[in-house]
Amino acid sequence: MKSVQKALSFPGHREKKIERNRFPVARGEDVIGRLAIIRLEKGDTLPDIARHFSLGINAISAANPGVDVWVPEAGERILLPLSFILPDTPRKGIVVNLAAMRLFQYKEDGKSLVVTTYPIGVGTSERPTPTGNMHVVRKAVRPTWHVPASIAKDHREKGDILPAAVPPGPENPLGEYALYLSKSGYLIHGTNKPASIGLTATNGCLRLYPENVKMLFDDTPVKTPVLIVDQPYLIGQRNGVLYLEAHKPLDESGALALKELYAKLRAMEKNAGRRLDWERVEEVQAAARGIPVPIFELRQGSEMEAAKPVEVEHPERLYGKPEVPALKLHAWYVLAADVPDKIEAQRIAAIINHQGPQIPARVFDKSDNYRVIAGPFNDGGEAREAAKRLKIDLEIDGIVIEPVKNE
Amino acid sequence: MKKVLFLITMMLVLPALMIGCATTGDLQKVQADQKMIDAKADQALKDAQAAKAAADAAKVQADETSARAESAIRAAEEREKAAVEREKAAEERARAAEEQERMAEEKAKKAEAAFEKSMKK
Repeated sequence: MKSVQKALSFPGHREKKIERNRFPVARGEDVIGRLAIIRLEKGDTLPDIARHFSLGINAISAANPGVDVWVPEAGERILLPLSFILPDTPRKGIVVNLAAMRLFQYKEDGKSLVVTTYPIGVGTSERPTPTGNMHVVRKAVRPTWHVPASIAKDHREKGDILPAAVPPGPENPLGEYALYLSKSGYLIHGTNKPASIGLTATNGCLRLYPENVKMLFDDTPVKTPVLIVDQPYLIGQRNGVLYLEAHKPLDESGALALKELYAKLRAMEKNAGRRLDWERVEEVQAAARGIPVPIFELRQGSEMEAAKPVEVEHPERLYGKPEVPALKLHAWYVLAADVPDKIEAQRIAAIINHQGPQIPARVFDKSDNYRVIAGPFNDGGEAREAAKRLKIDLEIDGIVIEPVKNE
Repeated sequence: MKKVLFLITMMLVLPALMIGCATTGDLQKVQADQKMIDAKADQALKDAQAAKAAADAAKVQADETSARAESAIRAAEEREKAAVEREKAAEERARAAEEQERMAEEKAKKAEAAFEKSMKK
């Protein structure tokens, strides 16, 4: 583990911005992008950093093991895994790697190839995203969500009755744009829950951040081929060095993928006539940090050290970070939690703030406890609806607080 | 007859004279002896008193030493007891901190699981 971390610990120079989505693909190369580091500020959460840099919550968590997702320490340095090994597939149309929870869109740009990549949310183990070849059959702006019977049943069991169809708007989980796939019932769409990108949270569809699905939608014609694969272990080369990128497998198929990886590496070792550092391979595979790590010199004399991550400046405002409106005396609120631990209260407030649609929440510091207050809400109905969502989605028993009355 | 009387007189007077002479000399000797014995007795008494005083002093010292030793042992025992109690308290504090940490971790995991569930459609 040490060697993997050592290669990544010291940043190079500092930059204002870093490319997040669009990368040229050099002929014969498989690794794109570069790693970066950012220093956290007070009030940051990993999902906010992830969204700003077009990363999934899975990627940022895996790259920064041990960092509190919701209440990280201000000043802590976070690795932004903005370097990727392209999946082992033909480079055309749209390619989705479920294990990496990333979508790659290939385009010819003159004589060169360009890839645009976005993080995604994928299906759960009960309702997994299907793999294989398919294509985009139609596209829709502001799609209506026709609620599948299975999902309606799940919600009914939780006491939430869904309508047969949800019109466009903040309650629609498809978001503003949808690309319908030839595999019936499966879509690539936006979301009203941006914090779910990088999670196994869908019913088999592929979700993108609202800002990313718009770009993909505009850039993808109908009939574009879509190939969905599940490759937890990726190997690829850049500048004569072989890199390995390991992700935590989504299911038991990881064992087979690992066997295939070892077979490939053994063949490469035999071809090169030099011994591979198998200990390093095992370390990278076990750590599963989702970042390309150099493991072998394909051309002797190539620079084996990983490129130093670039340090990026913290932006003034993180894109998409939920904002909490100012307190209003005459508004309604919901007491969501009353706990003795500050971190716990901050975590609960952050999770509530990242619901989709957002429920604003903040922490009130009392003398010996901390209260999580959701709101402000315009009326009792809104407050009760928020309390109902807290109960159904987060199993929180909220107490509705009436407005302060004028004497 | 006279001869008999003389003999009888001699038999009575001579011993009396002889006895009178022995008593005076002896008395002086006895007195001298008594003085010496008194002096010896005084010396012996003094010696005895000194020995007793020394013995008493030794006993006092021994008692004091013993008392100090006991007190030192008691203090050491108390220190040991206090150390054991401190160690026990520290262990308890560590256990409580561990438990608190475990509970915090559990709460964080529970919150995370609830969050992930809430992100489904």
